[in-house]
Amino acid sequence: MVSSTNPEYDAIVIGAGHNGLAAAATLARKGLRVVVLEQSAQIGGMSRTSEISEGVRASRIAHLLYNLNPVVAKELGIGSASSPLATRVIPTVTLSPDGRHVVIRDGTPAYADGSAHPEAATYAALRSRLHKFAQLLGRLSTMSPPDLSGGLSSMSGLKELGALAALGLDAKRLGKKDMREFMRIILSNANDVLLDELEDGPLAGSLAADAVRGSCSGPRSPGTVFSLMYRLAQGGDVALPIEGMGAVADAFAKAARHYGVKINTRTSVEKIIIEHDRARGVVLQDGSTITAKTVMSSIGAFQSMMLTGAEHFDAEAVRRLRNIRHKGTAAKVNLVLKDVPVFAGLQPDQRAGRLLVAPSVTYVERAFNPVKYGDMSTHPVIEAVIPGLADPALSEAGAHVMSAIVQYVPHTLNGGWTGEAREKLVRLTIDSLEQYAPGLGSLVAHADALTPADIEAETGAPGGHWHHGEMSFDQLLTVRPVNRLSRYNFGVGGLYLCGASAHPGGDVTGAAGRNSALQAIKDGVAS
Amino acid sequence: MTVIMKDIHAEAFAGAVPEGIVPTPFHDRLAPLSKAKRWTGWAGYISPLVLDTLEFEYFAIRNQATLFDISPMHKYRISGPDAARVVNRLITRNAEKIGIGRVGYAMWCDEEGMVIDDGTVFRFGENDWRLCCQEPQYSWLLDVAWGFDVDISDESEEIAALSLQGPTSFSVLQAAGLGAAGNMNPFDLTEIEKDLWISRTGFTGDLGYEIWMPASTALEIWDRLWGPGQTWGLRAIGYEALNIARLEAGFIAAGADFQPVHIAQRLGRGRTPMELGFGRMVDFEKGHFNGRRALLEQMKKGPRYQLVRLDIDGFEPADDALIYYRGKKEVGHVTSAAWSPTTKRNIALAELKAPFGVEKFEDLWAEIFVNHEGVWDRRMKRISFIKGPFFKNARARATPPAAF
Repeated sequence: MVSSTNPEYDAIVIGAGHNGLAAAATLARKGLRVVVLEQSAQIGGMSRTSEISEGVRASRIAHLLYNLNPVVAKELGIGSASSPLATRVIPTVTLSPDGRHVVIRDGTPAYADGSAHPEAATYAALRSRLHKFAQLLGRLSTMSPPDLSGGLSSMSGLKELGALAALGLDAKRLGKKDMREFMRIILSNANDVLLDELEDGPLAGSLAADAVRGSCSGPRSPGTVFSLMYRLAQGGDVALPIEGMGAVADAFAKAARHYGVKINTRTSVEKIIIEHDRARGVVLQDGSTITAKTVMSSIGAFQSMMLTGAEHFDAEAVRRLRNIRHKGTAAKVNLVLKDVPVFAGLQPDQRAGRLLVAPSVTYVERAFNPVKYGDMSTHPVIEAVIPGLADPALSEAGAHVMSAIVQYVPHTLNGGWTGEAREKLVRLTIDSLEQYAPGLGSLVAHADALTPADIEAETGAPGGHWHHGEMSFDQLLTVRPVNRLSRYNFGVGGLYLCGASAHPGGDVTGAAGRNSALQAIKDGVAS
Repeated sequence: MTVIMKDIHAEAFAGAVPEGIVPTPFHDRLAPLSKAKRWTGWAGYISPLVLDTLEFEYFAIRNQATLFDISPMHKYRISGPDAARVVNRLITRNAEKIGIGRVGYAMWCDEEGMVIDDGTVFRFGENDWRLCCQEPQYSWLLDVAWGFDVDISDESEEIAALSLQGPTSFSVLQAAGLGAAGNMNPFDLTEIEKDLWISRTGFTGDLGYEIWMPASTALEIWDRLWGPGQTWGLRAIGYEALNIARLEAGFIAAGADFQPVHIAQRLGRGRTPMELGFGRMVDFEKGHFNGRRALLEQMKKGPRYQLVRLDIDGFEPADDALIYYRGKKEVGHVTSAAWSPTTKRNIALAELKAPFGVEKFEDLWAEIFVNHEGVWDRRMKRISFIKGPFFKNARARATPPAAF
């Protein structure tokens, strides 16, 4: 029994990914005593910068920032003097096999040689429309998902309804035409919506790739328009963090420490202590105990249940948590290059952009097919950056890292992840890029492949999934991570989910952590 | 030339899955006894509604001894190192208070605290249990047991069972050479002979036993009871007689007095144990069990409905009657009703909307329609509330039982 003693902390946060840190900082900002426990030696989860080979550092897993939530950043002072974070918005370069690459800068596409793109106006209009719709949904991202279980007879039920009504009002303000369009496409698939307006080429391919990044779906899967909107929630700009994604995690950590949060790395939680249906603390792997009034878990929802013990959850909750879809399909291949590769048809400075291998929507869909059957794509979709070009401090020795997110790569490969299979993944990546950058293979000094299984092992992300669970309609809003557990409270009193498995989900936004902390404070369990 | 298609599907599965409702292990003895030829389907089995006449069968329950075939009940074995934990996670009462060699009545709920079903749990050993109930529960038990070291097996087909009820039921056992059951207390469970288990349980509120055996020995056990039992007035009965006896005893029936929430199609049809009058069956102190948080929430808010026992003026059975407050406002309905031949009262179970039946008990009326040879008559009858069972007799608990 630990309940007789005074708890050491107001809150324990499990996992020092950016969401765990955002939750900790938000709680500490309100004067609570918070400790963050991280099992690995490094904080950041998927946002980390590490040495890929001697003298060369790069973002180990995630490498770009899309959707950092401005409300979270403002509240926690991310990017301010106390928690500095420098980013550089980079253009997107969507590669074409015929060398007519398209460069998208500030939402406007043009050919790499500077000539106008015939679909520039159509693309801009489509993107701004999707962004407008995304903002509508974005309104929900900084609050707990609505809870209508109480019906309309109580004040709290009416408040919840009010939040939804405001959303409905916003939707009405869209005007009849936009509203009709919103309703028409919201549940639709990216393939249909994109190809209604664009030719099936690299420009449409870039949006298709963005719609499915990190998920186990192809552009023809239902719900991919929604995920594209989600991607465009903050405008669709892509930013390269200076000093890699580790700098993003560091900024969150600085903000947390600034408010007095203690961060313990190499501290693995063995079990969450529950007494009388209340979270009381955690038992660490070394057998020691830390007590707290609240336990916040930023790891996967299923994993959080296992740490707590299935006996503390209703059977329905256990069944739902067991069946969360989180098949990771994105691998990370980091290539250490002896020199900057030459891309036929690209100006040297354009290589510093986000390079996409997604020459058409059909290509992206075809790439998805093999992963359904446990094989990797022979012609993968790739998002690559050479961060050293925009951020020279990363590569002291003159070498460069080409950081590539390669899709689709199964978590559980037919025949298993043997050394041979990994080599094949690296070879397929290089082969695909060599189509556009001949001679790239001869520049590779070292290659480092992280499969979804590796990402899971290294960060604990379930299935190695970038969002801790597929961002599909059946796993969003009031059903994220699962029905009845969407309000951050994880069944047991004082136990909360605060990671990507909770609303609003994945990407480096910080919203899940921040919302969860605010809900815990509102519920009055932390203080 | 005509190509004749072979129905390979029908060939491969011929005989594997029975078509229609099937006989129970006792059917060969029941069928010749049936004068009424009134059968019903019960969980896929042929089961008698009435074998002789309802009156004969009912009075045999209260005055002699009766055999009712309960083989169609669903029976699940729960065994393994975590079996006790799984049973405790399932049911709302504290399973640890059910001793080895004992049986307990139990309810279990979904996550919203709504009753999935009620039934009996048998404790054969520290971690060896059987759940016996009306509705199929296999997949639910697998859900509840996930993450625990336990085996769940469906014994419904392998285990045949008879309910032997009535004041001379112990005498029947004695005559059949099973007199060792004499020292069994109510809710005791014992293996009286190899592979022959007896529990002192039943659905009549009278002296009675339930006898559990492998289906292969069913007829042999029937014959062993039936012959010597004749001296003690042993009769075979159908469900209709039993239904009156169970109502007199105040027992509730799934599908009538509550809707098992997993098969209810409409929202809001589920009821909590408290709403069914079984708040004492919920142990909030034993640790987490399914639906605990939702039930705790209801303890704060109070019940939405209340199942109550009623004595209704007059003698016309109040089946399906609506209940009115001050004769005008509809506040509930009768879920089960009968003229009780033993207590000579017009009894019923009814569901009332709170606060009626919770704190308001006055000026309530049952609206009974009677059809007198083609002419409908509407009668408003005053109701009064009864605490405890309508029928209660000390012989049900006497140990050792006499030849009543």
